[in-house]
Amino acid sequence: MDFRPLNDTERRQLIGALRGNAESDRAILMDRRDTSFAGTAEEVTDEEVIFAVKSVPCHY
Amino acid sequence: MLQALVSTASQLLEDLNRSLLRSRAFASRSQQVPPSAPHYQPLERIRLSDGVGHTLFEEYASHRAEARGEEETGWLLMGLREASEAHVLATLPAGAERDASVAHVQFNSSGQALGSRIVRQTDKRLTILGVVHTHPGSLRHPSDGDYRGDSQWVRHLRGREGIFAIGTADGKGQPPSLFAEQPRPHVQCLGEMCLSWYSLREGDAKYRPLPVGLTLGPDLARPLHSVWGAIEAHADRLDRLCRQQAGVTFEVVPGEHRPWLAVNIPLAEPGDALRVALTEKEVHYFLLRGGELLAADCLDERVDRGIYLLLAELAAQS
Repeated sequence: MDFRPLNDTERRQLIGALRGNAESDRAILMDRRDTSFAGTAEEVTDEEVIFAVKSVPCHY
Repeated sequence: MLQALVSTASQLLEDLNRSLLRSRAFASRSQQVPPSAPHYQPLERIRLSDGVGHTLFEEYASHRAEARGEEETGWLLMGLREASEAHVLATLPAGAERDASVAHVQFNSSGQALGSRIVRQTDKRLTILGVVHTHPGSLRHPSDGDYRGDSQWVRHLRGREGIFAIGTADGKGQPPSLFAEQPRPHVQCLGEMCLSWYSLREGDAKYRPLPVGLTLGPDLARPLHSVWGAIEAHADRLDRLCRQQAGVTFEVVPGEHRPWLAVNIPLAEPGDALRVALTEKEVHYFLLRGGELLAADCLDERVDRGIYLLLAELAAQS
């Protein structure tokens, strides 16, 4: 298990991610292999995409 | 690690809250923080890759020539959402298992969900942008029924805004047409087929015509269209497999008579993998070990069950 303090860049990214989450409901990404912070950037989670696909309404 | 992250995150969130109370200090600090994603504005225009343009018109023409050609059909659009414009880069077809008539179309979402996973293998920025669907007559605008559903759905999209196009076959051009025309900023016509583009944002009372342009680029999902029958047939089991196993990847591989959907499940040893080749009705299992491809003696047509039986067999041998 690797514990270390965040560097300045990582710290800024995490603050940006938390701000996006608090203000705009943007997801905070976690690496599924080691649970490390994987950023937010412009990436979209699988869950968000799948939910949008599954909820497409009928069209007339 | 997650606990450490949460602990650190809690501390940072406290820092953030404190900073929000100090507006002047916050203003100077916030300039150092890179934006995590664009602040979404209403869409001003969209760009289609030329690959997407080809797909929509070619498959619309093919659909009209089929036995179910009188029914409505459609595509789900994927691409990149930027601050005030969107780039449409992939189309997911309604699927043979769609529920449709001359008056409605409900896409097969299981196939499209798996299709979206495959398209996003290479770029996780790709998201759902909207829907194209056809009307049998000359109504080039979404209907009241469309609005009832779309106005609720757009809240699940980036920017809480969706792109909606209506396909009609009422253009003045006569087939065959040598090239497409754009009689209005939000309308594309090729022969008698027309696509009229709109946007709808959460809270909007009506759709807004959306200027559309073309740029060079692929339809990232087009290779999947040739194996869409296999995608629909195995969608639920493959989707479950993706949620259970990390590193599952897909590709379309050429076959003797038609392409196959190939699924790759990595094993513990570098380079080793289980590989499954699928068509709508056939499932073939292979083991890639030490650079050698071995056919596996597994006849299970339920692809997730077959994979777990093979994994159990491999675990018993180790």
